[in-house]
Amino acid sequence: MARWGRFRRLFGPDPHADVEEELSFHLEMRTRELVERGETPERARELALRRFGDYEGSWAECVEIDERRRRRMVRAEQLTELRQDVRYALRVLRRSPGFTAVAVATLALGIGANSAIFSVVSGVLLKSLPFRDAERLYEVRMLYPDGTEYTGLSAPDFMSLREESRTFERVEAYAGGVLTLLGAGEPKEVRGSSVSDGFFDLLGLRFALGRGFLPGENVPGQGKVTVLDYGFWQREFGGDPGVIGRTLSVGGEAYTVVGVLERGARPPLPADMYAPLEYGETFSATTSVGRRREYLGVLGRVRPGVSAELLGADLKRIGAELQVRFPDTNGKLTFTAASLRETIIGDVRTPLLVLLGAVGVVLLVACANVANLLLARASAREDELAVRAGLGAGRGRLVRQLLTESAVLGLAGGAAGLLLAYWGTRALVAAQPADIPRLDEVGVDATVVLFTLGLALLTGLAFGLVPAFQATGARLMAALREGGRGTSRSGGRVRSGLVVAEMALAVMLLTGAGLLIRSFIELTRVETGFEPERAASFRITLQGDAYATGEQIRGRVDALLERIGALPGVSAVAASTTLPLTGIGSIFNFAVEGAPPPPPNVNAEIAIASVTPGYFRTIGAPLVRGRDFTAADGPDAAPVALINEAAAKRWFPGEDPIGRRVQVGNSVREIVGIVGDVLQRAPGQPAAPQLFMPYAQFTTSRVRIVVRTAGDPLAVAPAIRAEVRALDPDLPLTDFTPLEELVSASVARPRFYTTLLTLFASVALALAATGIFGVMSYAVAQRTREISIRIALGARAGDVLRMIVGRALALAAAGVALGIAGALALGRVLRSQLFGVTLLDPVTLGAVVLVLGASAAAASYLPARRAAGLEPASALREG
Amino acid sequence: MTQPTQDILRGTLDLLVLKALSWGPAHGYGIARWIEAATNDALAVGEGTLYPALHRLEERGWVRSSWGMSENNRRAKYYALTSAGRARLRVEAENWRRYAAAVFAALDAPALR
Repeated sequence: MARWGRFRRLFGPDPHADVEEELSFHLEMRTRELVERGETPERARELALRRFGDYEGSWAECVEIDERRRRRMVRAEQLTELRQDVRYALRVLRRSPGFTAVAVATLALGIGANSAIFSVVSGVLLKSLPFRDAERLYEVRMLYPDGTEYTGLSAPDFMSLREESRTFERVEAYAGGVLTLLGAGEPKEVRGSSVSDGFFDLLGLRFALGRGFLPGENVPGQGKVTVLDYGFWQREFGGDPGVIGRTLSVGGEAYTVVGVLERGARPPLPADMYAPLEYGETFSATTSVGRRREYLGVLGRVRPGVSAELLGADLKRIGAELQVRFPDTNGKLTFTAASLRETIIGDVRTPLLVLLGAVGVVLLVACANVANLLLARASAREDELAVRAGLGAGRGRLVRQLLTESAVLGLAGGAAGLLLAYWGTRALVAAQPADIPRLDEVGVDATVVLFTLGLALLTGLAFGLVPAFQATGARLMAALREGGRGTSRSGGRVRSGLVVAEMALAVMLLTGAGLLIRSFIELTRVETGFEPERAASFRITLQGDAYATGEQIRGRVDALLERIGALPGVSAVAASTTLPLTGIGSIFNFAVEGAPPPPPNVNAEIAIASVTPGYFRTIGAPLVRGRDFTAADGPDAAPVALINEAAAKRWFPGEDPIGRRVQVGNSVREIVGIVGDVLQRAPGQPAAPQLFMPYAQFTTSRVRIVVRTAGDPLAVAPAIRAEVRALDPDLPLTDFTPLEELVSASVARPRFYTTLLTLFASVALALAATGIFGVMSYAVAQRTREISIRIALGARAGDVLRMIVGRALALAAAGVALGIAGALALGRVLRSQLFGVTLLDPVTLGAVVLVLGASAAAASYLPARRAAGLEPASALREG
Repeated sequence: MTQPTQDILRGTLDLLVLKALSWGPAHGYGIARWIEAATNDALAVGEGTLYPALHRLEERGWVRSSWGMSENNRRAKYYALTSAGRARLRVEAENWRRYAAAVFAALDAPALR
């Protein structure tokens, strides 16, 4: 066996020549034989060839077989080598558990952070939406001449779209609302949604039980039917399949349950209960009735192959036709569309990608750190490597061995990182940071595992390459020849370079985090226009037979306000249809009497709300001029209104609005006062012009009650609940929220990004500081002799300290300079997330320089102390 | 010799090569000579097909090769049976015998009554 094994090695590297030689040997022998039998050499050669047959064919076939065999052998050999390398690497890593633990932990941190953020990016941005042909779904919007887009369409416009569109395969609509569900227990508010006949089918949503809506069920005046959301069905009915056919009392009407949506089936506007959108007379596409009552969300799927541009052109065409047919209502208006994907994830893309970039930087720092550790170890392993080289291992073989070690490290780090990512994503999802869409679809799945695997291998290569070549370079060969320690300064230079790079990367992250922190502070400093402390609000919905008329509703609200106002600890109470920082709310057409009419269909609108007297005092917003509403502003009194300062500025520049009459929706009102701006959306978004009407003159069935208290508002909550129940046991009280929570919720998203980026920057800083510590310790260890001589020659401890710390600070300074340059270059991506600070914010940059300098000084202090404490004599003896 | 003989041979060439090597290592030409002598020159045309057969047998691990010196001091590639090849030869030979016996029996069989 052994003999043959050795011969196999000789099996030529060149099958072509080998086969040639083998075949020509045959021909030669045959020719010689024929010559011996008396043929002439020429004739003999000819006969031999004829006997042989297809020479070329045989040759080619043999070569092919041999090459195939050779390739297979090479592969097998590589596999064996790899197995050896991995086994050896595991042995080596086990031998130095301290190093291995630190390296794996560092990598796990870097890789785990990447996997966690990647799983969010993958779930939110990369995965397609859970709808049928999701990439062909678009949301249709109204486009106003001033460029503003409005996501609601009116029913006739929706029908026109359905009839006229050439690019949409189908168009469906939905409208949301809140209803009261009366059942066995407490009355509950449920989220309702009316959907057009093909809505579920458009999205490809399926049913766990029962069916969707039938075409005829959209005709008004039929028995009402409803489809339940899966989660709602589980919560309210315990997943009872017998719910089909049951009748539910909702909003004063009886609905028969006909179906339950499949688990996870969730349209863009999720609801608890779905009902058919009733196609009343306003749905006629040929009339102008209600063309500017925009309340339908409209989704459509384009035909295969239709581009966004083509769709846009088609919508413009329909818009233009409607402008001609209905100039009064549709003049200058048209439609536009955005892909559903964009409308759902559009505004989280940039921040998520910034976070992904940030964790990428953290991983780079981690790589640099581990590379530094490997470099430090390489000098300790020089003997071992020299021995292996002496035993005949070539440089390539040694590099491969070292790279296998780093790949094994990388994979171990990746495995630990995956665990971290698993916990990390669960924590992220549990934190539910500020309504990031699709977050419930986020988790560690096959994509994330593959990503982590690839990242781990790539990481292993990244931090292993430089040390591997460094360790097996000329230095090793020199060490082999001299048999001595070939310590060179080039290793130190590479390590310093790595530390500078780490510092630079950390500075970039710190700068980014610093800017976000500053923005966040600025955001929380923004005047919201009201006093959120010691105030709370809750919502009631007055529906059903007892609340058929505005009078009945008003009576109940007035009684409620009176009873709550009389409670001990309550200093003020009022009702309103809106709350600060919860959105703009309803929007009405608006015109100033006596002012030149605005050009047709300029976006002459105003946000509206109705409030009871004392609302502004209750939320702590100032009355700037004029008077507040009083009890005298009843339903039959002269219509009046208050406007905010933004509205005064927008519609009455340089004029006094008080006493002026304005057209709001269908009513004409006199402005009696101006109130301070209260932010409607979020800090950072300016207050929109807003008009307030007396609740008595504009009564709605959904209303929010705001209570100002002497102490903690939550302490009064039970008493308030009792009052509500005493008035009407069927009245649901929901959303009891301290106003302070509105403020913190309004900055939840920036807080989330800021927290994460700060976390990543801190990790990067910690890693970079560790790197400086390592390099300084190593430098001190190498220069022990030199430092001892200096001390022997009279250098004081302080001088040595200064020398070492100074060197660390020099490295840090280089890192800071590079990092700030990098941060400024990359800072553009952050700009959309910044508020109230510029990229060149001196406070942030100064703080970053200080933090980094302090970290570098602290990290180098320990090694410097060790150097300063060296015994001159002992060090010299050792040297 | 004519085509049909060659086609029959093609199916049994592996078996003949294995048998040739059962007497000891040999180079391709030696194997060809043995087949020539043993089969009354069945391979007279198309000796070349012997070599792909040899290389394929080597790929399957039934023979192995090495370079050595020939009788007249030339470099030649020698083939030898592996133990797997020896086992293969036994199986193939047995199969062939059974097959041939069946064919012979059929040729001698009378008509159905």
